[in-house]
Amino acid sequence: MANMPPSSSRSGDSLIANQYAVDRARPLAPVGGLAAFPAIDRASGRTDLIAVQIQRQLAPRPRLMQMLSTPLDGMLAPLAYGSVGDACFAIATAPPGPNLLARPGAWSESELLDCVLRPVARVLEHLQQRSVTHRNIRPDNVFQAVPGQPVVLGVAWTAPAAMAQPALFEPPYSAMCLPTGRGDGSIADDVYALGVLLVCLALGRIPHRNLDEQAVISRKLSLGTYAALAGDDRLPPIIGDLVRGMVAEDPEHRPTPTLLLDPASARGRRVAARPPRRAQRPFTIANRDVWDARSLAYTMAGEPEAGINALRSGILEYWLRRSLGDAQLASHVEELVRQRNVDAAPGDPDTGSPLLMRAICLLDPLAPLCWRGIALWPDGIGPALGAAMGTDSDTTSRLQDIIAYEEIGNWAAMRADRCDFAMLRVESRQQRSWLQQRGKDNGVQRLTYLLNPLLPCASPLVANRWVARLADLMVALEDVAGRVDHNQTDPVDAHIAAFIAARLERRVDSEVVDADSKSEEVQCLAPLRLLAQIQARLRSGPLPALAGWLADRVGPAIARWHNRQRRGEVRERVTAMVPHGHLTPMLAVLEDPAGRSADVRGARAAETTLMRIDRELSEIANGAAVRSAAAFKVGQEIAAGIGLAALATVLVVAALG
Amino acid sequence: MARRKANVSAGGDGAVRQPRQHSLVWLQGLLCGALATLATPTALLLGVLLGPALLAVTFDSEPGRPVGRSVALFSMAASVRPLKTLWLSGHTMQVAAGLVGDLQVVGTAWSAAAAGWLLAQILPIAVRTVLEALGLARSAQLKAERARLVSEWGLEDQAEVEP
Repeated sequence: MANMPPSSSRSGDSLIANQYAVDRARPLAPVGGLAAFPAIDRASGRTDLIAVQIQRQLAPRPRLMQMLSTPLDGMLAPLAYGSVGDACFAIATAPPGPNLLARPGAWSESELLDCVLRPVARVLEHLQQRSVTHRNIRPDNVFQAVPGQPVVLGVAWTAPAAMAQPALFEPPYSAMCLPTGRGDGSIADDVYALGVLLVCLALGRIPHRNLDEQAVISRKLSLGTYAALAGDDRLPPIIGDLVRGMVAEDPEHRPTPTLLLDPASARGRRVAARPPRRAQRPFTIANRDVWDARSLAYTMAGEPEAGINALRSGILEYWLRRSLGDAQLASHVEELVRQRNVDAAPGDPDTGSPLLMRAICLLDPLAPLCWRGIALWPDGIGPALGAAMGTDSDTTSRLQDIIAYEEIGNWAAMRADRCDFAMLRVESRQQRSWLQQRGKDNGVQRLTYLLNPLLPCASPLVANRWVARLADLMVALEDVAGRVDHNQTDPVDAHIAAFIAARLERRVDSEVVDADSKSEEVQCLAPLRLLAQIQARLRSGPLPALAGWLADRVGPAIARWHNRQRRGEVRERVTAMVPHGHLTPMLAVLEDPAGRSADVRGARAAETTLMRIDRELSEIANGAAVRSAAAFKVGQEIAAGIGLAALATVLVVAALG
Repeated sequence: MARRKANVSAGGDGAVRQPRQHSLVWLQGLLCGALATLATPTALLLGVLLGPALLAVTFDSEPGRPVGRSVALFSMAASVRPLKTLWLSGHTMQVAAGLVGDLQVVGTAWSAAAAGWLLAQILPIAVRTVLEALGLARSAQLKAERARLVSEWGLEDQAEVEP
């Protein structure tokens, strides 16, 4: 693979970062659990490259990619990252050879130490110095050019941390989580995976391959990882001693990568870990017998209803006290149940889940946050939301509950000695406030994009493109504008609103809320306002098709102008601006506060005049009787006046004559 | 004495005192009686010439007696000349009887009374016709103005102007 031949066919080529061509017609074996293709650097002609395809809902790890911008010996690092059409690829140096699964047979102890332990420990040490983790160490993601050469770690930045790791290579507290909710973890988790890798290579096979994930976790919890892995097999003495420490249940008991660089010192390191207490009699829950507290916690996490019932009935506390013989733990559980009964708000339908989450924390201090049948680490909630968005409403609902009830903060409070409680509390409150945002973006979607900075927009409108940046969004909307019915399709749907709200640096809450307004005028102007802001901020250039789309949807805003002539003028001006493709001037014409104010004043004056006219017309229509009376009176007066004038005239004539 | 005080107090309890309706009638009757006694020829002549006016005033029940007033004024205008003739001819009963018997004199006076009655009937109708015509013209003007406002501002599309 190191000497990958240049692509002979250009039919499936596409360029990443204007430099790397991806030959999608010739797929390679998956790398790090993701599809891979040959890639060529067009600038230098380099051919030892691969393109790893990134899945749409599985966001890459931005921090790790950033940290690996300086390449690291012994690990495949990203050279470029970009999208072509609807696919996104990460370009990396091709692995130096096949993965370790391709090499059958057990490895010798010296080869394990020289070719695996020390090179990987050195990589992990560098990663630790950069405050990142690998979390993808397993035989099919570790490569070796030829036997005797140091191994190279595969890609780890193209998907959520540890997402593709089998339960065998993860500590139980990580393996039991949602695949996308395992979080970045710590370097101790990489040491654990390296320990399991050493066992596999030393044995020449992967143990418990026929067991399912749940069985592997249960076995690890009940026997301890080392015993579960090695079983009756004999490992080389140095490897056995090293692995025993590397797969310790408590991450704090595992040796650091620096210590592993000197296997002799690491071997001599002894950590006095208290063996798990085993009960005299099993506790049966959900038709399973458990013998220790951690296994009980794991079973309760997977069977929440049974766990809640056991807690509330008191039989669990009795078992802890009598069979397990841990009176202190039993007292803590009893106090927790009593306190939760007191604190439960009347009418709250789900008081069991918080109780169970806290009880699991008591039973297994290493356990992740367990909530209604799912488990995850706090820093895994973003990738978990991204993976579940639009496809798994049930998981999304549970994750929403975790955020809405600030359960991350509550979980951290239960194990404050093992995490940064203050930071997690602040984060959980921040996430809750984001979740409660009301508007077209629907809170949870905005939160999903906020927590996954590289997650592409999942709007159906841009489904045929990879839109991970706002600039991509504008181009995608310009492209799609010619293919949709402008009157039926809103250019800013819930996903796009959430995407913009999350990606735009300045706050656009009011515009996002407006987009969901009941007022048609406000609603139709909100997309224009949002997209105009982006165009101005990113200097996106003319977008005539998008301008035409938006112009076709601002009818209600134009209809709000009262003066018909002015309304026609506004429509003509907006239409005239469409070919130029600049949204801000269109918005200015439609908003025009001074013009609007004058229009409202004129309309009010016209309305007053209209009322006066209507009143006068009504008086005319209903005034026949009044006019008749007036006419009778005036007529009589005129008749009397004529008579009086005649009398006066006759008298004057008589007097003069 | 006590009864008198009671009557005074009853009269002072705010009861509206009725106007003395018949005092003017008595005065008119007295004047007519004096005229008939002291100037019998004049009374005879006026009685005949102003007879229709007296009837019109009597039978006009409208407030202010507009028809009777009009008829009276026209009759009086037509009676001036015969009255002058009577007075200049010695103011005798013979002259008065001659004038009363003169069909032209009586006809003129009564025709004037008829003209007064006719005008009192026709003029209100004429005035009403004029008023109706003016109303129609104003109504047409207002409707045109209204149509222009509605067309210019589209006011019939909405109940009220929103800011």
